[in-house]
Amino acid sequence: MEFQFDWPVFFETIPMLMRGLKFTIIITLGGLGAGFLLGAFFGLMKLARHAIPRTLAIIYIEAIRGTPMLVQAMFLYYGLPMALGLRIPPLTAGIIIIAVNSGAYIAEIVRGSVQSIDPGQAEAGRSIGLTRGKTMLYIIWPQAFKRMIPPLGNQFIISLKDTSLLMVIGVGELLRTGQEIVAVSYKAFEVYLAVAVVYLVMTLSIARGLRILENHLEMKTKR
Amino acid sequence: MEMIKIINLHKSYDQLEVIKGIDLEIKSGEVVCIIGPSGSGKSTVLRCINRLETPTSGHIIVDGKDIMAPETDINHVRTEAGMVFQQFNLFPHMTVLDNVTLGPIKVRNMGKTDAEELGHSLLKKVGLADKAKNYPEQLSGGQKQRVAIARSLSLKPKVILFDEPTSALDPELVGEVLEVMKQLAAEGMTMVVVTHEMGFARDVADRVIFIDQGIIQEDNCPEQFFSSPKNKRLQDFLGKVAEH
Ligand SMILES: Nc1ncnc2c1ncn2[C@@H]1O[C@H](COP(=O)(O)OP(=O)(O)OP(=O)(O)O)[C@@H](O)[C@H]1O
Ligand SMILES: [Mg+2]
Repeated sequence: MEFQFDWPVFFETIPMLMRGLKFTIIITLGGLGAGFLLGAFFGLMKLARHAIPRTLAIIYIEAIRGTPMLVQAMFLYYGLPMALGLRIPPLTAGIIIIAVNSGAYIAEIVRGSVQSIDPGQAEAGRSIGLTRGKTMLYIIWPQAFKRMIPPLGNQFIISLKDTSLLMVIGVGELLRTGQEIVAVSYKAFEVYLAVAVVYLVMTLSIARGLRILENHLEMKTKR
Repeated sequence: MEMIKIINLHKSYDQLEVIKGIDLEIKSGEVVCIIGPSGSGKSTVLRCINRLETPTSGHIIVDGKDIMAPETDINHVRTEAGMVFQQFNLFPHMTVLDNVTLGPIKVRNMGKTDAEELGHSLLKKVGLADKAKNYPEQLSGGQKQRVAIARSLSLKPKVILFDEPTSALDPELVGEVLEVMKQLAAEGMTMVVVTHEMGFARDVADRVIFIDQGIIQEDNCPEQFFSSPKNKRLQDFLGKVAEH
């Protein structure tokens, strides 16, 4: 039997994927929003003067970056409830996993960007009597944030793709929705291709949007 | 009255002792220039005065406050002792006016309108009234340094510490910055100026200090300092400078 690409199935699949897409987007945005807060917090902690916050930040960052996200997801969803005696709903678990995972990478982005700012900036801030906190808030952070945008955009794309791993904990995201369609239609080629196309459209759009944002920011200071 | 009193200052970086016991008193209204070869510790002394560097031992008293005492608010001391850097260190993401009003607003809790009024008057003072809305990168080096001076003045400091304020400038831009500094000196500002501008030291300073190998080798009025230096190292140093 010869393989025939089934165009109608391909086109019918795409609207059917939208329900999954909704979860993919919710988890990506929710996870990254929380992940950014975690990343900012631990990234700055890694730059602390005291060894204790610094060590805590290093433990978090290395533990997450040194283990596969799939293992983190299984541990949080199946492992932790054994110890704590409470089950987390899949969607919430998905958001937490993306947050905790991206937070570790974002912490390194934050640390690197903050450290890349000329130390003379902090000295100038301190020399006019600003506290360390205000120097960070008004002088270092705004400059560092601009440098974070390209790597944050990159992390955005990575985390979006990583949400597909969450199918193992039963989150009805894009890939799992595709899998369910295959289960009834047996058209694996068309359906998974449609899934891939949807991911690709999103990642390319993000990359595009970021380039526009960067140019815009560039213009604003150069003028 | 002494504005700054330094008593037996020592500073080491790891094993390297950079400042090896410096005593110095600077009176209110005095202009003191510090000269010396590269790496002799001039910046280190200056940066200890507002505690950008922490002294290893000794005492520094700024306007009556021991900067190392636990009860001293170092941020307050820094508003009394402003600093101007060789590389300007303006805030590139803010307009010139915002550079000058940040301290008054965020440190002194001044209202925006009052702060901008102060900012405009300081920019006028340094001859940059028309640059308020520009960003630092649109300015020449000399203009940047004048903004930096206005920024340090915005806290109404009692003394300003200058660390080679003209060393990063093209020769033709040095004059405009020195002019502003002369004007400040004439108004009675207490100034400590690390510089290689011998002309400025001769004309404007009340005292000139020669630092070499981490100690004060000579401390004299400009006439004596330049025409009849007692210290052997200073004689050599001035001889080398004259050759250029
Ligand atoms: N953060 C630091 N860590 C280690 N060594 C330092 C540090 N800062 C300065 N030094 C050393 O201390 C010595 C004195 O430095 P300082 O910057 O005070 O010299 P300077 O007289 O200002 O020189 P220049 O004319 O080049 O500015 C130099 O040998 C320098 O290498
Ligand atoms: Mg120096």
